[in-house]
Amino acid sequence: MSHLLLLVPFLAVVVLNLLPKRARGAALWVSFGVLGLEAAAAFVERFSSIDSSAFTWLESVFGFRLAADHLSGLAMLCAGIVGMVALLVARRTLKDAGEKFFFANLVLVALVGINGIAMVRDLFSLYVFVEVTAIATFILITASRSGAASRGEQVFEGAWKYIILSVVASVLMLTSIGFFLLSAGDITFDAVKTALGAPGSLTWVAMALFLCGLFVKGGLVPFHGWLADAYTAAPAPVSVFMAGIVTKASGIFALLRIVSSTMGSALPGREILLVVGALTIVVGAFLALGQSNMKRMLAYSSVSQMGYIVLALGGDLNLGILAAGLHFFNHAISKSQLFANAAAIEEQLGTLNMDEMGGIGARMPVTAGTTAVATLSIAGLPPLAGFWSKLLIVLALWNAKEYGFAAVAILASLVTLAYFLSLQRRVFFGKTHPKWAHVKEAAPGLLVPVVALALITIALGVGFPFALRVLLGGGA
Amino acid sequence: MLLVAVFAPLAGAFLLPLLGSVSRRLRDVSALAMVLVSLGCSLALVSGALRGDIVSFSIIGPLGLSLILTADALAVFMAIVSSLVGAVIMLFSFDYISHYENQNEYYVMAVVFLGAMMGLVFSTNLIYLFVFWEITGIASWRLIGFYRGKADVLKADKAFLITALGALVMLVGILAVYGLTGTFDLTAMKGTALPLGISALLLIGLLSKSATLPFQTWLPDAGVAPAPVTALLHAAVLVKIGVYVFARLFLATFAFVEALRTIVASLAGASALVSAGAALVETDFKRIVAYSTVSQIGFIFLGLAMGNPLGAAGALLYILMHGLAKAGLFLSAGIVEQNAGTKDITKLGGLIRTMPWTAAAFLLCSFSVMGIPPFGGFFGKYMVLSAAVSANEIVLATVFFVGALLTILYLFRLFTKVFLGEPKGTPAAEKSRLMVACVVLLAALSLIGGLAVGWPSELARVAISQMLGVTG
Repeated sequence: MSHLLLLVPFLAVVVLNLLPKRARGAALWVSFGVLGLEAAAAFVERFSSIDSSAFTWLESVFGFRLAADHLSGLAMLCAGIVGMVALLVARRTLKDAGEKFFFANLVLVALVGINGIAMVRDLFSLYVFVEVTAIATFILITASRSGAASRGEQVFEGAWKYIILSVVASVLMLTSIGFFLLSAGDITFDAVKTALGAPGSLTWVAMALFLCGLFVKGGLVPFHGWLADAYTAAPAPVSVFMAGIVTKASGIFALLRIVSSTMGSALPGREILLVVGALTIVVGAFLALGQSNMKRMLAYSSVSQMGYIVLALGGDLNLGILAAGLHFFNHAISKSQLFANAAAIEEQLGTLNMDEMGGIGARMPVTAGTTAVATLSIAGLPPLAGFWSKLLIVLALWNAKEYGFAAVAILASLVTLAYFLSLQRRVFFGKTHPKWAHVKEAAPGLLVPVVALALITIALGVGFPFALRVLLGGGA
Repeated sequence: MLLVAVFAPLAGAFLLPLLGSVSRRLRDVSALAMVLVSLGCSLALVSGALRGDIVSFSIIGPLGLSLILTADALAVFMAIVSSLVGAVIMLFSFDYISHYENQNEYYVMAVVFLGAMMGLVFSTNLIYLFVFWEITGIASWRLIGFYRGKADVLKADKAFLITALGALVMLVGILAVYGLTGTFDLTAMKGTALPLGISALLLIGLLSKSATLPFQTWLPDAGVAPAPVTALLHAAVLVKIGVYVFARLFLATFAFVEALRTIVASLAGASALVSAGAALVETDFKRIVAYSTVSQIGFIFLGLAMGNPLGAAGALLYILMHGLAKAGLFLSAGIVEQNAGTKDITKLGGLIRTMPWTAAAFLLCSFSVMGIPPFGGFFGKYMVLSAAVSANEIVLATVFFVGALLTILYLFRLFTKVFLGEPKGTPAAEKSRLMVACVVLLAALSLIGGLAVGWPSELARVAISQMLGVTG
């Protein structure tokens, strides 16, 4: 059934566009339904390991195969949840009916890409689906007209940086694929794994190039320049969607997939991951500390947290992948929630400049409370979900005897805590600024998703030891 | 029983806002009830603990992440101290907090805080100890920033960041311990000799939570919080966490390292003297009392670091006595601040005429902190000092003798400035009977604790023999 995951969103887009104009209002809900199915599909464990029946003609061209495993399920679950949240945010914040329709369609297109990334078994198909996702996202960033007057230049800059760096990444990945074809003769994950097992300089160069391509896509240091601009420029629901799943799927998840399916414990690759991961964590955290635009701070925080996932992959392999997967999920939940919170604040206050805010917590208690949950979880404070995934990451590093990196991971959480406390202080905590004395809590439509996400964070955190037993039992 | 003691307040706290929307009185009373449940459970465990029984409860989890709650004499002792003091403080809050906004948050956080404290006391798995440790951090962050002024919130952040820094360093230490022993379970690692480096990592965490030199600065700053909060944090509970975990780890679990003893004793000594000096020159009522806490914590660390049963028993006793008396001092400070409208002691004076009960309670609690017989504090201090002398630590004994003299000096100075002399400004009266009753109760407990010192010291003695029995 894995091919359905590609076909259903695709057909949904086609059908939506065949509908008469007046029926287009339903697009958001159709899209919502598809994403709901997606999240549900993640729990159907029994899809066949290799399923290429629908695409035999493609397989004959370049070995296109799909396989869904636990990791794919994880990506689908995140994509489903984040996508639904983004649609709910879009329903409240995008004013124009045409824009809503547009958004719903593009989310579905991006979903095709994400599902592809989650299930492919060779480098070229991976590249293709990464591109599908990237193009859908590029259009999402630029196309919205909501508040465009104030954001004109900024939108252009953000989208421009994104597309240019994406092209660079594409070139890197394509070159890498060429090298692999030269040295290994094949680009399925299994063939690449074999090629890496017998070290030759060409395969290693190829691997390094591919990794760099993914680092760009995932916004890792030193390729993080585009991310904050793109997130800030994008309209609220787009930044929820991007931060929650797009960047993660096309950069980080692809990386997770490559590491788990091809690298094994091959050493040089591990060193790259450790160094890039640690650098990303630290640089991202300090950049976040200096921001006064709420979305920019969240964006740099994302950069920093992605570093944790990469760092985990450099640790003890099995535990590292488990930890990375968990952090992937936790961060998708909490960060999309924070961007939805930011959307609510922008909606009510008309600004995202944290220096102008203060004491909003008294006026918007639900937003304040859920934000506190998400930020503390990302900062890795128990008993929230983020603590456990971070603990596992550190354990994975510790088991691999990478004590220095483990210490970096732990101490960087302090910087994380520092910038999130500064966010709390400037936005929510404190006396209410007279300017905001009459601000009201956001509409229920925006509160439902954030409360749901915050509850997931708390429930997973409190019940974590039990969840872990299930995960270990399932052999994630 | 253990589960109830921990999770009644921890989970129940989140019902309080709901109850609060029904009736504020109901919310307040149920907050108190939750703390009393913990106290009741702890008291029920006493008879077993005195016999030397160890009650244990565990939920096994993977990767060594099992939730293990154990009630030995040390844990029961500490649980009683925190829930007893906590309960009196909750009662005090009924009137004190009713003047301000954000009451729901206050009750939720205060009860969560005490619940986490119970969890911390009973945990024998290092990871859960850390979890509860951090929950107290989150709760105290919200509580210190209660008034929401710019300075208040900044200081709340400061306290949170300093203690979180310590906690993270400690987490590195915990992982190092895990690397060494392959377990997070404290009972399984009993008797392990820890290398000095790892001990130092753990120690940084403990010192930061206990506001001991060089991490003491957040504690006086946290005086911006409402009085019941400062009492809860400074006096009774939060700062004792560091001391308690020190006892739990370095006395009860790991083999004692001589070098560590010297480090801790010197830091404790320096801490006691420096902060006593600071208390002598401060003019802010609450800051003086806060510095006094830093100084007294040094005393407790000294007792524990002596490594002999007498010192440890004295330290444990002093945890109880200091908790009771210091809570009394902070709450008296709260009464004065709320009614006189200032906490600057140069603007106060002669309050003994209008606030006789508060003044008396303050004086009695001061006697206990000073270590004047027959108050409870005397026995703790005496045992610690005589342990130092019998261990031939003459320098340290002298340092602490001087520290004790300074304590007498600054507390008398405080009492004279605030309660004696000519009244300045408008005379303030004791408005709330409930609040005054609370401080009188604490003063009475300090006195009773001294007169009936046999009962708590028996429990402390059992705790000590359990702790030192194996490690020597």
